[in-house]
Amino acid sequence: MISDKIYLRPNSVKEALEIAQDHSDDFCFLAGGTDVMVNRFQGNETSSCIIDLTGITEWNQVKIIPDKYLSIGPLVKLDELNNFEAIRNEFPVLIEAAKSVGSPLIRKTATLGGNILCENRCIFYNQSEWWRESVGYCLKCDGSVCIATGSKKHCYSEFVSDTAPALISLDAMIEIIDEDGERLMKLEDIYSGDGTNPKILKKASLIKSILLPLNNQFRSVFKKLRLRKSLDFTSLTTAVTVNANGRLKIAVGGVDPKPVVIEGTVNSDLEELIVYVLKKSRAIDNEMFTRKYRRDMIRVFLTQSFETLL
Amino acid sequence: MKSIKLKVNQIAFEVLIDEHECLAGVLREKIGLTGTKVGCEQGSCGACTVLVNDEPVLSCITPAIRCDNSEITTIEGVANNGELHLLQQKFIEKGAIQCGFCTPGMIMTSYNFIKKNHNASIDDIKEALSGNLCRCTGYKKIIEAVAETMSIESKTDNSENNYPKKNNIIGHKKPYIEAAKKVQGTAEYVDDIKIKNPLYCKFLRSTYPHAIIENIDISSAEKIDGVKYILTGKELTRKFGVLPISRDETALAIDKVRYIGEIVAAVAAESTEIAKEACRKIKVAYKPIRPFLMMDESLYDINENEKIHLDSKFKNNIHKIAELNFGDYKNELSKSEYTSKMDFEFEGLTHAFTEPHAAVAYWDENGLTIITATQVPHYLHRALSDVLEVPLSRVRVIKPYVGGGFGGKSDPFAHEIIVSHIARKTGRPVKVRFSREEVFINNHGRHPTKMTMEIGLNKDKELSALNADIVIDGGAYGSFGIVTSYYNGVLLQAPYKIDNLGFKTTRVFTNKPQCGAMRGHGAVNSRFAVESLIDDLAYQSKIDPCELRLKNFLDSNTITVGQYRITSNGSRESLLKVMEQSGWKDKYGKMPFGKGVGAGCGFFISGSALPIIRNELPQSVVHLKVDFDGRVVISSGSSDIGQGSDTMLAMVVAEVLGVSMDKIFVLPCDTITNPVDLGSYSSRVTFMAGNAAKMAAENLKKEITLSILKNKSISNKRLIFSEDKIHDEKNEISLTWNEAIDIALAGRGAISVSGHYISPKLGGNFKGAGAGLSPSYSFGAVIAEVDVDIKTGLLKVENIWGAHDCGIAINPLAVEGQLEGSWHMGMGQAVSEQLKYFKGLILNGNFLDYKIPTSLDIPEMHTNIIETNDPEGPFGAKECGEGAIHPIIPAIANAIFDAVGVRITKLPITPEEILLKMKKVSLIKEAEIES
Repeated sequence: MISDKIYLRPNSVKEALEIAQDHSDDFCFLAGGTDVMVNRFQGNETSSCIIDLTGITEWNQVKIIPDKYLSIGPLVKLDELNNFEAIRNEFPVLIEAAKSVGSPLIRKTATLGGNILCENRCIFYNQSEWWRESVGYCLKCDGSVCIATGSKKHCYSEFVSDTAPALISLDAMIEIIDEDGERLMKLEDIYSGDGTNPKILKKASLIKSILLPLNNQFRSVFKKLRLRKSLDFTSLTTAVTVNANGRLKIAVGGVDPKPVVIEGTVNSDLEELIVYVLKKSRAIDNEMFTRKYRRDMIRVFLTQSFETLL
Repeated sequence: MKSIKLKVNQIAFEVLIDEHECLAGVLREKIGLTGTKVGCEQGSCGACTVLVNDEPVLSCITPAIRCDNSEITTIEGVANNGELHLLQQKFIEKGAIQCGFCTPGMIMTSYNFIKKNHNASIDDIKEALSGNLCRCTGYKKIIEAVAETMSIESKTDNSENNYPKKNNIIGHKKPYIEAAKKVQGTAEYVDDIKIKNPLYCKFLRSTYPHAIIENIDISSAEKIDGVKYILTGKELTRKFGVLPISRDETALAIDKVRYIGEIVAAVAAESTEIAKEACRKIKVAYKPIRPFLMMDESLYDINENEKIHLDSKFKNNIHKIAELNFGDYKNELSKSEYTSKMDFEFEGLTHAFTEPHAAVAYWDENGLTIITATQVPHYLHRALSDVLEVPLSRVRVIKPYVGGGFGGKSDPFAHEIIVSHIARKTGRPVKVRFSREEVFINNHGRHPTKMTMEIGLNKDKELSALNADIVIDGGAYGSFGIVTSYYNGVLLQAPYKIDNLGFKTTRVFTNKPQCGAMRGHGAVNSRFAVESLIDDLAYQSKIDPCELRLKNFLDSNTITVGQYRITSNGSRESLLKVMEQSGWKDKYGKMPFGKGVGAGCGFFISGSALPIIRNELPQSVVHLKVDFDGRVVISSGSSDIGQGSDTMLAMVVAEVLGVSMDKIFVLPCDTITNPVDLGSYSSRVTFMAGNAAKMAAENLKKEITLSILKNKSISNKRLIFSEDKIHDEKNEISLTWNEAIDIALAGRGAISVSGHYISPKLGGNFKGAGAGLSPSYSFGAVIAEVDVDIKTGLLKVENIWGAHDCGIAINPLAVEGQLEGSWHMGMGQAVSEQLKYFKGLILNGNFLDYKIPTSLDIPEMHTNIIETNDPEGPFGAKECGEGAIHPIIPAIANAIFDAVGVRITKLPITPEEILLKMKKVSLIKEAEIES
């Protein structure tokens, strides 16, 4: 068989974006690849052109922008975050969150940028092509109905990044680069809430860096619900951070197609915050833990986090 | 295609690859380094771990092209010119290897870890290994091996196992004879074997649970270049099945499909890719029939055409009703001082061995040869002969190294028949290897089960009566299901003396992958029930649950109510041991809320006394052959699948002959040379093949003795075989082994002898009396300590104190490995594993969602071997591979009761269920306080 498969590993951002443009829609970006390669194995990602970004070595760095930001390159591996003193000192919760991802082997390849952008999951979607054909294709794989809910409109595949909730609670900004140029966004603003297309970014957009504000005296609590202490994707991730001014930021993953983000202060009515998070979390029965249990645990995790922090 | 440069184990390669190919495939197929294993293809199992530029990566999800110009180290590159790395030596010495399939990945991960971490703790090691799944060892010995390599003190209770050393070899810890191969990646599993000019086979599987096949259109698939053969069901119509009484399967579905995933067509092509592509092009027209997916639905009478098996004698989808009654449980229950009755529910489980099924078949002057990952070469041999209509003498089954079985490789399988058939039709070797998803679909695992059980305690605190009503979900075909049905009930007649016992098991067909035998076959779920009920009776009657058990154990040398002959029985010793070691008396009922301890006991057969196919052959035969070089060659068909049975055979023979292990050579399992042996199931190998090996060695000893006496012209004298020498008591005769062999072989050149084992006639004369008969039984006990997070319901099993009566431990290293592996698997069933279905389709057929415990999920295991010296076992040995799984699961549930006061009756135990029940209990308590 004649192969139309292409694999390219550009050395610069410019080159990467050009290749993407040349291949219009039939490409995928690969950072570590631990997520994308599995989706490819299952036939959920079928682009003929793979653009491997790991050749862009400038994206492996962590830099301090004095008095303002810590800038983390998107290709820093999850396992490497702990090597940077600035992260250890100011944002230890990020290391904790990264350590909860996958397995030690996954973390040696998976990158921070990749984890932020990892594909939403659903037990009716993350299956082989044969499986999905047997059950009937779902909304997320070009079918007409959600297998989990019967909805013809909404896909509730879960947002499963563990590092993103931690980063969001730390007021992370990300620098986006694409054909329109560069711009700065709050991390939470890149998620659409639509399970079929969970990011508002263009397909050919890249994260250039992740920026964390320095000198905020953040105090954070991170929690992840999973049955095993390794390997498992999240069933609920909560990150709660208080800054020097007593502002409270809650970011919750695993219970909605996007991270659920709520801000308050140390003086807020905590019960109200929890109710608000529950209201915004559109968890469904699409994984091994039930919807009900995961929702119950939102309350438990947040209550415990508040107790630690306040 | 693209050319890349790789430096693999310091050798430079330039290989042409497909742009999207992953590293694992390139290493295995293009470079020929098959030590790197592929277990899941999704980065979940870690078997494919290699180092790229000194960092471990999952080579099954690493694009090969990314490794261009990289330095790669595979398992083959760890030893230095044949000299094993200390880590490899420790893996061997500590018994960190069983089936060996996860070993290459496990070693690569640890190799990197020890290089980069010098001040690590045991917890760090557990963390580092938590991306490498092992199904055999329970991780304990792997963690110990890594710790010892790093000179870290690890807590181990095994030092308490001071086994008597009255023998030279038996009772000494011996690494597996093939261990050095397994740590270097040179042990060949089916998929590693290179075959000249093979075809690759892929299957088209049903997308309907229950449907008539109206048409199969292969016309466009046939046209694809490279497609050599397309097979559909009509070519292979003879039925098969492991039990002669339920031969209900055909190799491919004919006329109708009975579960989603059943094979409808098979394509053999020049490459796997082509075969896959052709499968996609085959169009099947189905006419759906009402599917039966829940076991309750299968109990009710239905239309004839809705039956899953049209030839069934029932008017519904019931497969088998197994029912036995001993004594009068009804009357006795009504007289009981305390009774406990509960409903239990168990999800189905699968074996989850790390090596996916694989086979390769070819035909030559000997007829058919199939190399396959099987536990039962003998039954496969018979099934192939029958289905393909070839004489038994023209079928050869070779079992290479097998990456775990646990019952899941103990049926003859459709894929084995299909590749054999296509190989005959095409004249080419045909290979097949399952994806992990296909392994799940093939299943044959533990039956989903619902049961109601009631048990009574009389005024003398004796367990006087038991009744069980059980329904098990067999899936679409019979497999071992009739045996499973009986085992659910009959194996309740020990370890406790219960004189009035009744049960009824109904096995139903459903439109799901079939269930069969899995470690602890048939008895695991009902054991959970009975041990939970006993715990409840103890609670009700305010007796310590361990004391209640001690009071009710059967004695040694007794007959049970269903006429099982109990000989050696270490129940009491096992339970007393773990009570003492765990500090039971200071803990039970005395720990803070949320923490607790629980006990459970177990009982299992040590080899089924009856063969599956009735015949007069011995159940095991072992050949021994000694030639001029003095080496003793063992030939047995007992099928080592990683449990160490080849090593056991070598130890038994070496012990009898008084020679060192290096004079013993165990031939690979190959039915062209092996005598009959029923294979590796029902925990029979040590007892039966061990006895056969012992008899063979004794026969050889006799032959050698006779030759020496004749040579020395002595009529009768006892000769001692010991330490590679043969001598009499006064040393008037004193020969080295080789001198003795020279004498024995003079004039004839070789000696071949055989030994065999036939189980004694056992059991009663009633229908069903044969179920569960065994020449010996194993016993054991576990105490578990748990910590329940009362806010989340999440459960942490902190400690397992386990003891198992294995008669005598021939190889204590292997016995510990079996016990720890059983406890690992029991932990999985207790807290995390289940097969979930959606409309008949397995929902979690991968290692992310089918959650076998990782190294971080395993408790401290305190391993105790109890020795009772079985009167009929070889050197007093009996089984240890299955029985140990029974007690751990109820021990965990009972510990939860001690911790938080709720009785769990569903497996797996979920945090949600714990919370729900805790809530109910507190509501009841509140109501009680209010009233």
